[in-house]
Amino acid sequence: MLSDNNKIFHRKKVLVIFFGCAALLLLLFGRLLYLMIWQADHYSKLATDLHERERSIKAARGRILDCNGVVLADNKTVCTVSVIHNQIKDPEEVIGILCRELDLSEEYVRKRVEKYSSMERIKSNVDKSIGDRIREYDLAGVKVDEDYKRYYPYNDLASKVLGFTGGDNQGIIGLEVIYEEYLQGKAGTILTMTDARGIEVEEAGERRIEPVNGNDLCISIDRNIQTYAAQLAQQACAAKEAEGVSIIVMNPQNGEIIAMVDVPEFNLNDPYALPEGTSENISEQEKQNLLNGIWRNGCINDTYEPGSTFKIITAAAGLEAGVVTPQSSFNCPGFIVVDDRKIRCHKTAGHGSQDFVHAMMNSCNPALITLGLRLGLDSYYEYFEKFGLKTKTGIDLPGEAGTIMHKKEDMGNVELATVSFGQSFQITPIQLVTTVSSIINGGNRVTPHFGVKALDEEGNVVKTFEYPVTEGIVSEKTSETMREILEMVVAEGSGKNGAVAGFRIGGKTATSQTIPRGSGRYIASFIGFAPADDPQVIALAIVDYPKGTYYGGQVAAPIVRQLFENILPYLGIMEYNQ
Amino acid sequence: MAIQRSVRRKRKEQAEYFFDYSLLFIVLFLLGFGLVMIYSASSYEAFQDFKDAAYYLKKQLIACMIGLALMIIVANIPYHFWERFAGLGYVVSLLLVPLVLTPLGVESRGARRWIRIPGVGLNLQPAEVAKLCMVLFLAVMVCKMGKSVRGLKGFLLMMAMPLPIVLEIYIITNNLSSAIIIMGISVLMVFVASPDYKKFVFMGLSAVAVVAVMVFVIVSTSAEGGGFRSERILAWLDPESHSQGKGWQTLQALYAIGSGGIWGKGLGQSMQKLDFVPEAQNDMIFSIICEELGLFGGIAVILMFIMLLWRMMVIANNAPDLFGAMLVVGVMGHIAIQTILNIAVVTNTIPNTGISLPFISYGGSSVMFLLIEIGLVLSVAKRIQLKEL
Repeated sequence: MLSDNNKIFHRKKVLVIFFGCAALLLLLFGRLLYLMIWQADHYSKLATDLHERERSIKAARGRILDCNGVVLADNKTVCTVSVIHNQIKDPEEVIGILCRELDLSEEYVRKRVEKYSSMERIKSNVDKSIGDRIREYDLAGVKVDEDYKRYYPYNDLASKVLGFTGGDNQGIIGLEVIYEEYLQGKAGTILTMTDARGIEVEEAGERRIEPVNGNDLCISIDRNIQTYAAQLAQQACAAKEAEGVSIIVMNPQNGEIIAMVDVPEFNLNDPYALPEGTSENISEQEKQNLLNGIWRNGCINDTYEPGSTFKIITAAAGLEAGVVTPQSSFNCPGFIVVDDRKIRCHKTAGHGSQDFVHAMMNSCNPALITLGLRLGLDSYYEYFEKFGLKTKTGIDLPGEAGTIMHKKEDMGNVELATVSFGQSFQITPIQLVTTVSSIINGGNRVTPHFGVKALDEEGNVVKTFEYPVTEGIVSEKTSETMREILEMVVAEGSGKNGAVAGFRIGGKTATSQTIPRGSGRYIASFIGFAPADDPQVIALAIVDYPKGTYYGGQVAAPIVRQLFENILPYLGIMEYNQ
Repeated sequence: MAIQRSVRRKRKEQAEYFFDYSLLFIVLFLLGFGLVMIYSASSYEAFQDFKDAAYYLKKQLIACMIGLALMIIVANIPYHFWERFAGLGYVVSLLLVPLVLTPLGVESRGARRWIRIPGVGLNLQPAEVAKLCMVLFLAVMVCKMGKSVRGLKGFLLMMAMPLPIVLEIYIITNNLSSAIIIMGISVLMVFVASPDYKKFVFMGLSAVAVVAVMVFVIVSTSAEGGGFRSERILAWLDPESHSQGKGWQTLQALYAIGSGGIWGKGLGQSMQKLDFVPEAQNDMIFSIICEELGLFGGIAVILMFIMLLWRMMVIANNAPDLFGAMLVVGVMGHIAIQTILNIAVVTNTIPNTGISLPFISYGGSSVMFLLIEIGLVLSVAKRIQLKEL
């Protein structure tokens, strides 16, 4: 038997081992202290990042309201139905119910239900009532998430103005793009805890960061006037077999646009629908071009030769420069020779001798050309620029087209003559309305706009939009004279079809022949305002390529007349003789 | 007077039947605590994999029962009984290790380190057997060699004896950690047996120097050197940039420890056990303890181990003879080395290597052999005469 003594040094050594080990364990304890106190925040943050999965909650997009608070763009709650493979207990039942409720083929649903993935979307944009019904089945592994979808209660009303939104509820065109910042809101998040395989841990609960809904946008459009204007435009378009009719109704004092119509409009709830009869096998590029054409707003995205309506600008420039007075006399033999060019008046027999007021009433080309030449190139060009015609109006819609104008150094007398009566250059309809507004409102160039203010959910004003105004475009005197002349044009001149019984209306017609000349294609237009002595509303109607009669006085003026007959009493503009 | 006499009689009875209840209690506490933590750490994964949340708990519970039974048997056998099996044990260990290469070997998680005991359905890790046998063998050898163990020759001989088994374990089963543990146990036993310090200080310093040079070489040659162990070194130095490879497990353990904070998330509330820490119930269980029970839970575990070592030190120093003392020193070394290395690995103090936490980590053969060793210690304790205390 081994029985060697347990010596003193043995005991000492065991003691050394014990204290050595205890010391090492205490060192590790120190390391633990460091990790769990000093590094705790660092590692727990990293760990939380690893455990949490984010699901975003969409914010409701702000609504768009007209000037009376009527909702023009709203949100509809829709559902997205998805399946989570791991959680499905009875695949057959799930397939059966989803096929029936969502009206999908069994093959389609089966493929998705049986696919091994963390989450598979079956269908989005499902009606809320159907979503609720599916939820009531309480199927394991079927998730119904609510979502918002943009909804336009009036379908095609002001479609090119409002615009629409895309799959992520972001603005694609129109006001939806310009006011994205206010409308979009801020998405929230649901943070859920998951295990390493990405499966949600139910007991761990979830953290929510609530979404902030977007602001409501109040715009200056009046739904009633917009609707009526759209009806008039559609009627005219159909009656004259025109390619398009545009109507702009604006308050000339502050630039608020009350209606903007550009038929044909499109259905905002189905903006990607192609016109009937479109061949199905067109390329993506062709399809996109076609859609861009449909979405195009002729009032601001396209330019045209304004024709005789532009004589208002020439006349105002002449009056402002003092080269003409209403009493100035002009003679029209039916044509005028500028340099080596003979330019005809629309009345080939000529208007004979007339004062300036009558020249405007007759829309006499030679008289306006004479005036333009009297102003001279430098002066005319200066006024063209002073009136703001070479800059964009700054309207709050995307894609405003610029003016297409001769370079000053390329202009001779012939070009000056044609510009004087509204030909050989192009501006947008909104540019014409804005410039005429500044001439008749006392010389203030206003910025045409829709956006008035943004409201939060409780209806408090978050932001009132302000727009620049350039004062002193023309003197008050010139403005007054122009109002009188234009009232005469409607009362007794070429614009008499724009007259509304009992109201003082000012206005000017135009019949512009399009390039190439002689093609027989015309643009008929009329710009009118009321009351003539204190304009509160200005309206421009443009009929593109009417069949049959094409004179602005006969095609476009009646549209504005009908519009004024209805909206002036509605707007509370009193008849002058009461 | 009568009372004094009866007290004296009582003391005499105790002296005859001394049993180290403190040690037993600490071991039982660690076992029970281990079972709770194994259930907590493994239930989620066990349910995912086997549809039985208590899968690992049940297996460990059975191993604990068998282990406790074996411990009681061993504790009641006078420890000198085992003397005669020392040589046999050495040979058996030497033979068992290569068995993993035969069809009896069992591969698990890419390592072939277990052998199946036919008929019982239990897997046995030869390295565990070798640890126990080495303790017994070296204790016998120290006593047999007597004073000659104190010379350089005796020292070298003692150091050479464990080498064949250590090399076998390292080369055949590619198990560096078990090899280190067996070598460590041997060094500690020889350290106690020899009155000298210089040799051991020199050995320790040279070991540190070798390791430092190795780390330096690996870091400076970095990337292109490759290899499984050098990558572990790099992951150790910077686990966050090796988070997808070798650093994953370490980093996940650090996340668990760090997110525990001072008070922990509460028992059962660990997030990291949800598959983030691989084998959470195994080598990395200490990280889950820290996550759920916080700094205080971690300290409590460390303190329990210090108390366990303290009890064993007391027993070793009061053992009736050198053989008993050497046996206890071996067991003490085994538990101390494994505990220190395990916690060091989990806290990323040293590079990652697979070492389980004694009594707490999941692992049947490990816990059974540890309990047998505790049985040996208890058996030595029983021979202590109380008056010597």
